[in-house]
Amino acid sequence: MDKITLGTRNVSVAFPGVKALSNVDFEISTGEIRALVGANGAGKSTLMKVLAGANPSYTGEVYENGQVVDIRTPLAAKRMGIQIVYQEVDTALIPTFTVAENVMLNETILHGRGMMNWHKINKQAREVLDRLQINVNVKTLVQNLSLAQKQMVLIARAIQSKCNFLLLDEPTAPLSDTETRELFMLVRHLRETENIAIVFISHRIGEVIQICDSYTVMRNGEIVDTTAITPETTSREIVEKMLGRSFSESFPKEETTIGDVVLEVDNLSGADGKVDGVSLHVRSGEIIGIAGLVGAGKSELCKTLFGAYKATGGSIRLHGKELRMKIPSHAVKNGLALVPEERRKEGVMVSENVAFNLSAASLRKHSVASFLNRPSINANAKRFVDDLGIVTPSITQVVKNLSGGNQQKVSVGKWLAADCSVYIFDEPTKGVDVGAKREIFHLINDIAKQGNAVIYASCENAEILSITDRVYVMFDGRVTAELVTKDTNEDEIMFYAVGSEHASA
Amino acid sequence: MTALPAKQGKTTARILLDWAAVITLLLCFVIFTLVKGRSFMSENNMINILRAMSITTVFGIAATVTMSTDGFDMSMCTLASCSAYVFVSMYLWYGLSLGMSIVVSILITLIMYQLTMFLILVCKIPDMLATAALMFVHQGLGQWYIGGGAVSTGMRLPNGNPPVRTTLSADFSAIGRAPWIIIITLVCVLLAYILLEHTRQGRYMYAIGGNREAARLSGINVKGYRYLAGMITAVFIAIGGIMVASRTSSAQVMNSDGYLMQSLAAVFVGRSVGGAEKPNAIGTLVGALLVSTLENGLTILAVPYYMLPAVKGGVLALALIAAYAGKKENN
Repeated sequence: MDKITLGTRNVSVAFPGVKALSNVDFEISTGEIRALVGANGAGKSTLMKVLAGANPSYTGEVYENGQVVDIRTPLAAKRMGIQIVYQEVDTALIPTFTVAENVMLNETILHGRGMMNWHKINKQAREVLDRLQINVNVKTLVQNLSLAQKQMVLIARAIQSKCNFLLLDEPTAPLSDTETRELFMLVRHLRETENIAIVFISHRIGEVIQICDSYTVMRNGEIVDTTAITPETTSREIVEKMLGRSFSESFPKEETTIGDVVLEVDNLSGADGKVDGVSLHVRSGEIIGIAGLVGAGKSELCKTLFGAYKATGGSIRLHGKELRMKIPSHAVKNGLALVPEERRKEGVMVSENVAFNLSAASLRKHSVASFLNRPSINANAKRFVDDLGIVTPSITQVVKNLSGGNQQKVSVGKWLAADCSVYIFDEPTKGVDVGAKREIFHLINDIAKQGNAVIYASCENAEILSITDRVYVMFDGRVTAELVTKDTNEDEIMFYAVGSEHASA
Repeated sequence: MTALPAKQGKTTARILLDWAAVITLLLCFVIFTLVKGRSFMSENNMINILRAMSITTVFGIAATVTMSTDGFDMSMCTLASCSAYVFVSMYLWYGLSLGMSIVVSILITLIMYQLTMFLILVCKIPDMLATAALMFVHQGLGQWYIGGGAVSTGMRLPNGNPPVRTTLSADFSAIGRAPWIIIITLVCVLLAYILLEHTRQGRYMYAIGGNREAARLSGINVKGYRYLAGMITAVFIAIGGIMVASRTSSAQVMNSDGYLMQSLAAVFVGRSVGGAEKPNAIGTLVGALLVSTLENGLTILAVPYYMLPAVKGGVLALALIAAYAGKKENN
């Protein structure tokens, strides 16, 4: 089998306001399993998208065996044998089709005749699955498969077409340990039997060392290092390279008076197992951080605390009184507030105007009997637009026309207007620029200063370190460590976030 | 007073499209007047149009309230037939007063709507599917109650007993005639307008319709307000059914069923009126007016009755194209 090499030279990608990739030189040859690691936002997925033809706006060159190629469409990438399996498997599968149809989907679309040749489709799909030693009935509907099996179907689809480069974007994030092992066997089997290179993105450093031949570390859109994995390679060494030593963004922590325990959570489980026996407490005036990687269960914890996901066990006590929350409406009545991660989908009503959004959680205060008190709604809106410095032409502006940072301020302002006592922030700085980030931090500090309890969930450890008093680190739905912010550092948080067990306890 | 967003740089084309339904309506008036003069533009004929519009509007208002929470009810007109059976039978068979017949009819409709809400909110069946099934349930239950025949003057009860009343009073018929039918309709539009635009509950319903998850995470009791919207819908459905019965002086078998499509058309045309982008009471009124003006004008132009649906459908499609074409969101 001839070795094929795929590489990038000086590839850069700029999104409005951010440089997602800058001058990246990346190279991989068939017969190799390469890990691509880096913190969130380091540019891993962007690089993969360039190679998969899903990011046509790159500058620089992509080459195959030294020849410069143009991959500006997914189809061009596929023709070159570059296949990608994205993390969200459900976006690539048709649930009501059988396994065979899904495996053969590209083939059917590209070369299909007018009539479906079921015999041929089932036979070819069976062959591919056999080749990969995947044991799934080809006539099963994909909607009845487990996540791991769905992923295997996608890998089978990739292999069924011409495939020299298989890009796996965080394939193990949603998988259980057993499922992960099965996937690893499949990946190793592939390297041995096909002329193929595999790029493996993962946050779980343990896995990377276990399965890959070499690793490439990315940070801030640049490649920091590419090294072979030897028996001497340690997680700590990779984590240090991921973090680097340069933290340019720091925000001063403002002093607050910390009082009594406001919210006490004991052994909370729920969200279909994604929150697993979490215990924590928050005092008034205190900001606690929930750290952990993407998929560790931070959002699920926030939503379970807010009654948006079902709690299956454990208890939540507010000021010593046990809360029974079935729906978020109960949480709000008890003075809990959630600023959710998916701002546009969950935090604001994008097609409504600023004034309505700012009063959405406190509309009862702004109505007489059932009737809306427009002057009161408008006064409320004006007050928070001024207080929070929301940049909008008017309070009747539709929220979708505001910038991300301003939308976030609206999403926070809604709760300030509702006078809550516990504020839960889930990735509040996602997608906002540095200036707005500073203002949001200031705002959160102010909320704590007024004696409220604040929970701050983020996968940006630098943020956690600069704003919180204490940190709970999560891994796989569990709290793996409780740390005092001023006595910890990013390495330690990352150590627990990748699932390393506490050594001395 | 629908809160119009102050979008910058709204193009003339966009403004024209936002008001397409109103412009179409005005054009219809101008054209019919130019061609037919006084036989179209007369006081009597205007009242004809308004009267014809009334029932469509009331059912349209029922649909508007459901759709404000992003719901959908295909079974509303089959349920309205049941409301009419109850209304007329209470009045004729059992001799209840007119007011009591109306109250009982509305109550029974509300009770029957519990089933709709059960299927949608508890069993979590998608609205469209649940209400499609309910169409048959309503037809079956309703006809079982009336014994398969119409409820009208001079007819015996299904069990052979003579009815208590044998004639309809003037008040009964007045509900279905101008000016009362028009007044009741406009009151319904006004009530729905106030509910949706000026009450807290109405804003919650729109919030749920606009983004259910964001509404839920804002602490709005989503199921509770979807239920409330359903109950309000049921009241408007009953009023519609009563109007149909009064207008036809009886409860004919399935006599409301045919209003479904044109009521929905009125809501869809009205959705975009003035750039509201959501089902709204005033828009529905405009939509219903457009439908009935077209029907009336085309009849006066002596378009054969069997051609009417095609022409009506065509003009409606044009109004909808104007409303939905060129939107970024549509992909």
